[in-house]
Amino acid sequence: MTDARIPGLEPPVLEARGVTKRFAGVTALSGVDLVLRAGESMALMGENGAGKSTLIKVLTGVHQPEEGELLLDGRPATFARPLDAQKAGVSTIYQEVNLVPLMSVAQNIYLGREPRGQVGLIDFRRMYADARALLAEYGIQVDVRRPLRTLALGVQQMVALARAVSINANVVIMDEPTSSLEAREVETLFRVIGLLRERGIAIIYVSHRMDEIYRVCDTVTVLRDGRVVHVGSLSELPRVELVSMMLGRSVEKVERGGVTAFRAANESDAPPVLVATDLSRKHQIDGISLSIRPGEVVGLGGLLGSGRSETLKGLSGVMQLDRGGVTIDGKSVRSGSVPAAIRAGIVMLPEDRKAEGIVPNLSVRDNIVLAALPKLSRGGFTSRRKQDAVVDVFIKRLHIKVSSPDQLVSELSGGNQQKVMIARWLAMTPKVLLLDEPTRGIDVGAKAEVQALIDELAHEGLAIVLVSSEVEEVVEGSARVIVLRDGSIETELRGDQVDESALLAALAGSAS
Amino acid sequence: MKMNRKGRGLFSAAACVAVVGLALTGCTNTGTTATSGDTAAATDAAQTAAPVTGPTCSLADYKGDKIDLTQATVGFSQSEKEDNPFRIAETQSITDEAAKIGVKKFIKTNAQSTLSKQISDINDLISQGAQILIVAPLNSDGLEPALAAARAKNIPVITIDRKLNATACTDYVSFLGSNFVEQGKRAADQLIAGTGGTAKVAVLLGSSGNGVTTDRTSGFVDEIKAKGPNITVVAQQTGDFARDKGQSVTEQLLQSNPDITAIYAENDEMGLGAQAAIIAAGKTPGKDIQIYSIDGTKNAVEQIVAGAYNGVIESNPRFGPLAFQTIKDFMAGTAVGQNVIIQDSEYDPSNAAAKVGAAF
Amino acid sequence: MTQATVSLRVPSRSAVLGVFQKYGVYIAIVLLLLYNLVFTPNFFAVDNFRTQFVQVVPVLIVALGMALVIGTEGIDLSVGAVMALAAAVIPLYVGYGLVPTLLIAIGVGAVIGLLNGSMVAFIGVQPIVATLAVMVAGRGLALLIANEQLKSVTSPEVLALGRDSVLGIPYSVLIAAVLVGVVAILVNRTTFGKQLIAIGGSRRAAELAGLPVKRILLIVYVLCASLAAVAGVIGTARLGASVPSTLGNLIELSAITAVVVGGTPLSGGQVKVLGTLAGAVLLQFISATLIKHNVPDAYSQIAQAIIILVAVYIQRGKARVK
Repeated sequence: MTDARIPGLEPPVLEARGVTKRFAGVTALSGVDLVLRAGESMALMGENGAGKSTLIKVLTGVHQPEEGELLLDGRPATFARPLDAQKAGVSTIYQEVNLVPLMSVAQNIYLGREPRGQVGLIDFRRMYADARALLAEYGIQVDVRRPLRTLALGVQQMVALARAVSINANVVIMDEPTSSLEAREVETLFRVIGLLRERGIAIIYVSHRMDEIYRVCDTVTVLRDGRVVHVGSLSELPRVELVSMMLGRSVEKVERGGVTAFRAANESDAPPVLVATDLSRKHQIDGISLSIRPGEVVGLGGLLGSGRSETLKGLSGVMQLDRGGVTIDGKSVRSGSVPAAIRAGIVMLPEDRKAEGIVPNLSVRDNIVLAALPKLSRGGFTSRRKQDAVVDVFIKRLHIKVSSPDQLVSELSGGNQQKVMIARWLAMTPKVLLLDEPTRGIDVGAKAEVQALIDELAHEGLAIVLVSSEVEEVVEGSARVIVLRDGSIETELRGDQVDESALLAALAGSAS
Repeated sequence: MKMNRKGRGLFSAAACVAVVGLALTGCTNTGTTATSGDTAAATDAAQTAAPVTGPTCSLADYKGDKIDLTQATVGFSQSEKEDNPFRIAETQSITDEAAKIGVKKFIKTNAQSTLSKQISDINDLISQGAQILIVAPLNSDGLEPALAAARAKNIPVITIDRKLNATACTDYVSFLGSNFVEQGKRAADQLIAGTGGTAKVAVLLGSSGNGVTTDRTSGFVDEIKAKGPNITVVAQQTGDFARDKGQSVTEQLLQSNPDITAIYAENDEMGLGAQAAIIAAGKTPGKDIQIYSIDGTKNAVEQIVAGAYNGVIESNPRFGPLAFQTIKDFMAGTAVGQNVIIQDSEYDPSNAAAKVGAAF
Repeated sequence: MTQATVSLRVPSRSAVLGVFQKYGVYIAIVLLLLYNLVFTPNFFAVDNFRTQFVQVVPVLIVALGMALVIGTEGIDLSVGAVMALAAAVIPLYVGYGLVPTLLIAIGVGAVIGLLNGSMVAFIGVQPIVATLAVMVAGRGLALLIANEQLKSVTSPEVLALGRDSVLGIPYSVLIAAVLVGVVAILVNRTTFGKQLIAIGGSRRAAELAGLPVKRILLIVYVLCASLAAVAGVIGTARLGASVPSTLGNLIELSAITAVVVGGTPLSGGQVKVLGTLAGAVLLQFISATLIKHNVPDAYSQIAQAIIILVAVYIQRGKARVK
């Protein structure tokens, strides 16, 4: 797709100049410049929290910038609401199609601007014919009288695209357009994108899938922490550099040691405790197989959307699998059931501690014993004595700072909440501990404590899988790192290979 | 509770009937029930022929066609589900009377408490060839489309038990219904007679904001003021036309006012609830504390027979004879009243045993 | 306990609010009793208190179940309909004796609870929607079973349940007292109770902690409906008649009010059993006071509305303090 078109020669259709946006004092965008030219296809890249979605919302009129301005065809433009942006020719295609599922394809395309006959009634024959012709341009042949929802998701998206373009789009913004498409549908989408560009329509393309970016886009704008850190041609930019810019780690300056509280991790040679085979779920993960030995910390590397968290969810029964399974000590674990996974000894610390981990209105004691409650009861009646035995041990051992076990868990700091979560699982005497971002959102001191604790637990023989978006945490905490990309295993780094540059290269998926 | 539903519906009917009621004061105190066919119908007719005071309607006024009932198709549209004695008795009465008179074809429908169904019911009756319609409206408003359809064919419409917000003699011929103020007044008369003119009374009101409640209250209270100088109303509390509410409210009242000697309940269900409360308080209903109520359900009248209840004023559901007499008169060219009051019977210890079969 | 908390030093606004959050319902009961002591003749009589407690029983029993459901961040609007259904089946089986009748009525309630619980737990229907549907259909079914007729219940055993006493305490009050104790133990001392509260606090966290969330929700709705059925039997026994058309009408509102006034937040994660008892008793005392002073119905309705508003306001304050 990076054809002979030279973007620099086309006039700019959409520009952002010095756009700044804050939410409740937090700066989401800071002085962002962006120039989009007719026929250009620009990749907008950045990790979580980089400001991509905020920028898109500013460009489409959902948010208004506090500073800076937008220019449309060189003239200043203000989008007070999404409709203004639409009228000005800026359309957005979301991953979820926002049309009327029960109406026909043709009605959806012409919603609000139906062709009228002589007496003002809708001229259905013309509408159907027009719709058919319009879709045919994109190589889509469907019965336009069918309700939209009866079509495959990919086709629905194409209808949305056709509608947007037929209205009068100059700019089409696509946010993760392929996340729920089949491979064949992706091809159709790419073909359509090519057609749009030939007509001079500019595209902003947001995706986590490197391969797609390099296929579809010719320029790239990289955001990090609300700022533009790089603008340039994509074909000249090696993948590994793109990834290191997104993560803010320079490729050259990668070195090992000192940043985290992890000791040098050892590889174990005991037989594996957990073996996962071909874990797959549509649009999430595809054919992931891995095994973990007792006492081993295995890092799961990958960019956002690579399937890291999904792999943990598949292992812990939180996510139903389409295919594949997990065994513990050779015995298979019923998939898609959290209680079954817990019984087998697989436990997971969820990524979103506040929403999925702690029960805020309960005490520290109740939170620690939550999962182990049946074990700490007699005939269905809770035993305070048995509970206290467990709770006291963990509060001491994990150095959880509480005024009393009866203190509300919501009153604790993030680090102590995380320790409560770890205590909850240790009370179950698990075999495999899955950690999803265990140190996110907790202060430096607590972070070191949690990291040391992970180390200690591994040395005691617990098998641990560690997911972290901090490269150094993965590198220093793990004996080996399994790198995921687009829901599949890209590579595995072992022993000396486990360093930041190798991980960055693997994340980028370049042929290093 | 059954009455509750009916009562609620009769809401707007009440206001109008009350006005007519003032003009008709004194036309009460017949003990006749409508069960005795012709006689009752004749009585009713005689009485309704009398009120020249009220506005009337004649065939000429209405611009209808003269129809012979024995050659006619008559349609009856019932409003509510027949899940309470009042509705059952009402439909039965009209059906029986139609057969008795020898109406050529009688068709009845039930709107199952749904307004839209009543509209389509009436349209169906018209398309099935009904030449005369008797309608028990579900609601005071909303039947306009159906009435317009009848009007377009000059089909005379007699409405019963619930008054429409429409113009008599234009949108329909006339309305037949009870006088709720009068019912309250008669209950007061019964109570004064039964207690010998000295009593402390607790009133169990119907649902708040209901026209029937208002009328049955004012009729009772005004009569007590006028004729019972030694009777005091010590409490007025709502029992929502429901038995359980009547029971619990009476329990409360009996505790705070142990000297209560009589209960006036605005429907039988609350009266029966009060009876249970009196028993629970260790007193004898009918003797220590007398009970009077309005409705005329079998359950209450049987209690009078058993000596544990003192009086019931009927709210007459038997519209058949009166409705067909009105139609006959109307077809004969007589001007009939636009508002016709149906005769309500009453039960007391002297007649309850004999008349309990007539209770509905 | 109230004397201890209301000390002489000038308390801050939030401290005052805190006291009301914790003890408001008890303070209100005490104030109301004081008022009645002075102004209501015959209020402080054993008979009167017996009447108040007998009358509060159905609302209290329904509120106990409602408190459990609200604890899971749910709501059950079908309780009144379940009472009606229980009432409707009594005349059909009363010939087999009290215990079979009671079991069948409770069984009918449990089936309705299974229906509610299945919709909420397995299909994911919002509790208010699921139970609203059952509320409408349930009363319809009750009327159908009863052939839309009121039926007198004359079985002395059943009537005794509503009217007789042991040692001066009515059976119905004894049953309610036992149920309060059982539910209190269930909530505070059992695994089930703790898990129920955790679900109300954070359903997602409970799921990820491996709790049998769906099973617990199912059981909670079954318990709630079964308790409502017990209330239906007692209500019927007291009336001496099966009145499916009105029994339990609007009781869901009284029960929810009792639960909320008693300090259980609608947002779930807490169940105050004694508070619920106090809430139900408070509502009963208010209604008794208004009736005894012959206050017109319109004013009583306004008074009840104000109490609900005050309770919700205090609850809101609590959420904010958190």
